[in-house]
Amino acid sequence: MDKKIIRLIQGDLPMELRPFKILADKLGISEEEFIRRVESLKDREVIRRFGATLRHQDAGFSANAMVAWIVPEDKIEEVGNAMAQFREVTHCYQRQSYKDWKYNLYTMVHGESEEQCYRIAERLSAETGMTDYVLLFSEKEFKKTSMEYF
Amino acid sequence: MDNRDREILNEIQSGFPIAQRPYRELGKRLDLPEDEVFLRIRRLKEEGVIRRIGGNFHSKKLDYRSTLCAAKVPQKKLKRFVEVVNRYPGVTHNYLRNHEYNVWFTFIAPRIVTIESALKEISEITGIKDVHSLPAVRMFKIKVDFEV
Repeated sequence: MDKKIIRLIQGDLPMELRPFKILADKLGISEEEFIRRVESLKDREVIRRFGATLRHQDAGFSANAMVAWIVPEDKIEEVGNAMAQFREVTHCYQRQSYKDWKYNLYTMVHGESEEQCYRIAERLSAETGMTDYVLLFSEKEFKKTSMEYF
Repeated sequence: MDNRDREILNEIQSGFPIAQRPYRELGKRLDLPEDEVFLRIRRLKEEGVIRRIGGNFHSKKLDYRSTLCAAKVPQKKLKRFVEVVNRYPGVTHNYLRNHEYNVWFTFIAPRIVTIESALKEISEITGIKDVHSLPAVRMFKIKVDFEV
């Protein structure tokens, strides 16, 4: 049943005053049960977020950059946590690296211009002492969709 | 878009009520009548400000695996490469970036082997061998709300 519910709520909620009633009817369960199950998926953090996705999630921000950093393995926790404190940093992940690809920490930074993104990266660098980094701007969007599970 | 719209947008990105009458609930929080909240949200959807309202999931909790891939693709092979990569439903985001590794895409699938074999297939079809799969090892931050 949870999979069936996920299939329904990964799309767009019907624009009705009682949207969950409509979805519950499709599964032949009560509105109460549907809501209870969605709440439970949220409590178990299967649902990371329930709500509106904006077309321009960076409304108000006009530039964003992915900054890739080379961080010594023994410093990554300290550096990752320090960068995560910045308001301009929306995502911060440690990722797998390779012999010929040493970048291992990735931060998404948002600013009003590319120039400002560079300045944010400089501040991150000054704060953490990490100097080996590159700013990756998106020059073109080839695809952007939500995942369809199951 | 006025301030009321902005208040609503800031509220519903992660605070959309999971309730029988979600718009009435929102109205209580924002001190607006149910039908006004509903009509404003409907308009914001029609205008394309809101792309969708629904659930966003932790792929890991659904036993899905995900990765970020970076590929080094020469200009003359770019169009074909993007075409092939975008065919996979597990590829949800794909961007051109200003780097020698210029194509960056995310890949989500029920198993890691599905992703690995798809990447092999992509390399075989396109002749592009320089593709790094960079799965997340650890998440320090993911911010989901954008102040409007």
